[in-house]
Amino acid sequence: MKSILTLSALLFFLHVGEAGAQTLYGTSSGEVSFFSDTPLETIEAVNKKSGAIINTTSQEIAVQMKITDFVFPNKLMQEHFNENYMESEKYPTASFKGKIKEQVDLSKAGTYPVTAEGSLSIHGVTKPVTVKGTIISSGNDLKLDFKFQVKPEEYKIEVPSLVITKIAELIDVSGKMTLVKK
Amino acid sequence: MNSNLHLRCLALLVAFVMGMIGLPEAKAQDDLLKMLEEEQSKEPTYTIATFKASRLINGQTIETVSKNHLNFWISHRFGAVNSGFIANFFGLDEAKIRLGLEYGLTDNWLIGAGRSSLEKTYDLYTKYKVLRQSNRFPVTVTGLAGWGINTMETGYVMESRAEMRFNDNLERYSYWGQALIARKFNEKLSLQVMPTFLHYNKVEDPSIPNDLWALGFGGRYKLTKRFTLSGEYYHAFSDPDGYQASTGKAYPYHDAISIGVDIETGGHVFQLHFTNSRGMIEKHFIGQTVGSWEDGDIYYGFNIARTFSFDKGGKHKD
Repeated sequence: MKSILTLSALLFFLHVGEAGAQTLYGTSSGEVSFFSDTPLETIEAVNKKSGAIINTTSQEIAVQMKITDFVFPNKLMQEHFNENYMESEKYPTASFKGKIKEQVDLSKAGTYPVTAEGSLSIHGVTKPVTVKGTIISSGNDLKLDFKFQVKPEEYKIEVPSLVITKIAELIDVSGKMTLVKK
Repeated sequence: MNSNLHLRCLALLVAFVMGMIGLPEAKAQDDLLKMLEEEQSKEPTYTIATFKASRLINGQTIETVSKNHLNFWISHRFGAVNSGFIANFFGLDEAKIRLGLEYGLTDNWLIGAGRSSLEKTYDLYTKYKVLRQSNRFPVTVTGLAGWGINTMETGYVMESRAEMRFNDNLERYSYWGQALIARKFNEKLSLQVMPTFLHYNKVEDPSIPNDLWALGFGGRYKLTKRFTLSGEYYHAFSDPDGYQASTGKAYPYHDAISIGVDIETGGHVFQLHFTNSRGMIEKHFIGQTVGSWEDGDIYYGFNIARTFSFDKGGKHKD
């Protein structure tokens, strides 16, 4: 019985110790862009105000951005994107939260290819996804790079038949951000 | 035995506390998102697309044109729908036309120019978005200033059947200023009020003052993503009784009332409407609308807007 108690106590203290040592890296000016390419049209937009946060202890990662912060070269397109496709008034943000699968010590400088498993929320729909990327650590900051593809249909983003040939079935999403130690 | 139970209770308690500590740990992922949420809520979220276009029907909206974007407006107001089938094909045999261009100097500031076939009038105007609706501020406020020049021959007969004589070019000028205040209540409903001041350098009768105040109301209701109902009403604070007392005739002008629909198709906005005004600039439709709904002076009309982007990389059409 005593051993159970000691074990519990030990676990308890370990827990506290872990919570105290957690290290956070974050940014609020990450770049996330997407790219849609069809023979008829190339559409590109970039969001330079994406927020990201990594907890190097628990290996958790979260990325969130406002849909209205995506900037298109053509403002009319931007309006349609917000009003007709993303319905950004109803669903103002897109986010990812997940965990880095590999056991990596990001506090040590180096280049780490990583895989994050988690859930992606766009247009009010949440789906499990696996995202591959690279983290370059200098110890004080983390340079995060990632790329994945999104199928608008899976997130219930309706593309009217009028423009269906102008918007790709698979949209390339890429991100580039530097997270600094908090 | 007793102490054993005691210990067991303690162990349970410790396990319970541990569980409590462990619980937020499991939620840490949400906490990271919550932290991001807090960070992002520091910046205001601005309301976009209060209206589909920079014009509601005859008048303007709070919307401006984006930087380096050009709007081309083609507007028609046909003849009265009650002008007969054989004689006028329900008004479609004739039309008053206005062609206009608008260019965005910044995302909040545009300049525009146009030419109306009604009284052969050229107009110049500028619009500036002063305040923007956001999650911290309830309305968008845009200021408008405009100028028009009437290039009809002197001594022409106005729509009000009065004769207009110009002694010099200055008399052909008129000016208007307007504050446009709008709120997007939700994604479907947007309402706007438009206090307006107009000045005519020359009016057809001395009993009509050169200065005119007016108050406009307008709004839109989106039926679907691409189909919108719109309405617009301008009340002019004119003095019909004073006019009647001095001239013995009924005041020729009425308030402009218009209803219509907006259809959006990618790069175009089509606005189809019924209105009692054939003028498409403030000086005409606010102060000099001769038609009245009661008399059946209803004109079918349309505005078509085409937007061009001159931003680099923006050459792809939508």
